[in-house]
Amino acid sequence: MSDLKIPYVNLGAQWESEKSELMPIIESVLASGNYVGGEVVDQFEIAISKFLGSPFCVAVNSCTDALVLGLAALGVRRGDEVITPPNSFIASTAAIVHLGATPVFVDVLPNQSIDPNLVEKAITKKTKAIMPVHLGGRMVDMDQISQIAESYGVAVIEDAAQSIGSTFNGKLSGTFGDVGCFSAHPLKNLNALGDGGFVCFKSQEMAGEVKKLRSHGLIDRNTVEMFGYVSRLDAIQAAVLTFRLTRLEATIKSRRANAELYRSLLNPDFVFVPDDDLREKNSYHTFVVQVDRRDELIAHLLSCGIGTAIHYPIPIHLQPAAKFLGFGEGSFPVTEKQAKRILTLPINQHLKEQEIETIAQTVNSFYGR
Amino acid sequence: MKVRYSYLAQQFADCDDLWLQLKEFVKTGDFTLGTPLTEFENKFANLIGTKYAVGVNSGTDAIKLSLVAAGVKAGDEVITAANTFVATVGAIAEIGAIPKFVDCNDTFCMNVDLVEAAINEKTTAIVPVHFTGYMTDMRKLIPIAERHNLPVVEDACQSILGEIEGRKAGTWGMTGAFSLHPLKNLNVWSDGGLIVTDDSKVAEHLRLIRNHGLVNRDEVQILGYNSRLDTLQAVVGNWLIPQTEDIALKRIKNAAKYDAGLRVIPGVEIPPRPADFKIVYHLYMVFAEKRDELLSYCQARGIEAKVHYPVPIYRQEALKAFGPIGEYPVTDRHARSVISFPCDQHLTDEEVKYVISTVADFYAGVK
Repeated sequence: MSDLKIPYVNLGAQWESEKSELMPIIESVLASGNYVGGEVVDQFEIAISKFLGSPFCVAVNSCTDALVLGLAALGVRRGDEVITPPNSFIASTAAIVHLGATPVFVDVLPNQSIDPNLVEKAITKKTKAIMPVHLGGRMVDMDQISQIAESYGVAVIEDAAQSIGSTFNGKLSGTFGDVGCFSAHPLKNLNALGDGGFVCFKSQEMAGEVKKLRSHGLIDRNTVEMFGYVSRLDAIQAAVLTFRLTRLEATIKSRRANAELYRSLLNPDFVFVPDDDLREKNSYHTFVVQVDRRDELIAHLLSCGIGTAIHYPIPIHLQPAAKFLGFGEGSFPVTEKQAKRILTLPINQHLKEQEIETIAQTVNSFYGR
Repeated sequence: MKVRYSYLAQQFADCDDLWLQLKEFVKTGDFTLGTPLTEFENKFANLIGTKYAVGVNSGTDAIKLSLVAAGVKAGDEVITAANTFVATVGAIAEIGAIPKFVDCNDTFCMNVDLVEAAINEKTTAIVPVHFTGYMTDMRKLIPIAERHNLPVVEDACQSILGEIEGRKAGTWGMTGAFSLHPLKNLNVWSDGGLIVTDDSKVAEHLRLIRNHGLVNRDEVQILGYNSRLDTLQAVVGNWLIPQTEDIALKRIKNAAKYDAGLRVIPGVEIPPRPADFKIVYHLYMVFAEKRDELLSYCQARGIEAKVHYPVPIYRQEALKAFGPIGEYPVTDRHARSVISFPCDQHLTDEEVKYVISTVADFYAGVK
């Protein structure tokens, strides 16, 4: 546990607020003796389908796996290209590479979302899919992405790992594309007590295929139709998520209120907070600002007992693991510039107004105001 | 009488102390690669007698990540047993490699005398499967692998604490892959797995690729996977691990009782029980004449007998993608004749006796 006055995350507070309701739920799963698959997982899939308004949802072990299985269901394979931004968590690119396909990076807008105009320019005969990433909960302009995908006949797989509950024109993230991939990692807005994820599909057939792929490709106890993976959401985690889903709206609401408060307090002369487009409603998995002297500010905040994070300081194309793709400094200038300026401030639902005021004042005073 | 196959409700009926530990753990928020996981990995390495253990998401991933660490790539050939569970072959197929099968013998493990003939210039690894709790004869396999300079990944998912001449499953190869699935001898409350090794470089590589290739929070050294053993489940593992030896001993005792009772029944054949092997009986499996009739007969009398497996992996639809794959007559014979009876640590003497007498009744023609 953090010794900071205002830690970046506070999972202990979450547990305290819900343990009296959650403990009996967990106990009943354990008493059932059914820990892998089964009714509890089915119930979560139904609940999440209802929430998303998407009838075909499949629970899996992580969002990384949701991306791999989603791409597999789309038929992405060796030699195909998938367009995606370089400023994401590594998992989006890794999923593409695992299937033998080539990630085609395009740069981002000032608000960190993939630049739709560059997406269109990157399309080739080999393009099989576009993978926009709703980074931190901020919605990519899905009108434009959907339009491009449609006119070139390519699929869309949304990396909605960080954006459950975010909307664009009133429509939920993950429900625009052919595939929507979600994470239930402990640090996400809808979080399990371990790794977890789920994936939703427009096509019932694809969802059916992924249900086989997530469990060895078995169609019954003894028949293996195709080789698959082991990527099942644990029953215990499914039960936790079904419960926490009932609180998701409240979680997002308080995160949005926190973001509003930050906007009203942070000095815009020194702190760039990208506006929310009128069409987008952000769920604020993270609250990311862009500042000069970022690393000094982090140290200053830390000395004042305030925890922060950077999502992510090294763009994917500059990671040692991505060397084989042949990019370098200067390949994606907007992403690279942002990587030096972005800073994630605490925004979790357990923060008090006063704590946000303290953080904002500490930031402002660092810049002398 | 009813003799159930799954004993999980009994196993965890009395675990108040574990429950308290879990409550304490959840408060910490230490859910991903947390402290209890490191503790569990150290305890598991101690239990098996290796330097390192790395927790992953499943036994399948334990095999897959081991193969990746062994340098197996798309198009390579990997030799394994024709009678294994789908997971072994699935792990090979997941990285684009091609499974090459070797028939088994009556200990349900790869007939190592057939391995050398299956090796060619494309072969990059051997995955012996210590099926049902037996062990592949590693005394013979390791010299073959060394002669051909091939890494060995032991699929020890079903054979925790199995031994040959006192040397444990998982300690013979480059790595040993274990499963913690709820139905395994050492089990957690979800999917889970562990990889053991004595090689520090292999351990380091495995720790990287189970966690996105991250060397620290921000730097991705190589592309990896997301395959971590949940720390919550490591808390369960830490609670259970002191019981592991006892679980194996109880299963061995149950098997001895079955052996003594079933051996005298015409129609049942007990597999060989080599004296220098410690068989840990994840499954208690024997050969039976009129197997399908016996299975129905037992099931109708409340005994949850099973068949592992009626359709050999090499004959599955999924294998067609790999082209012609040969014939494995011993595996085929087993698919027609094997039957598994409950053998877990919670089984009572009465239940064992009931199974034996039911089998005896069947062959005596009592209806």
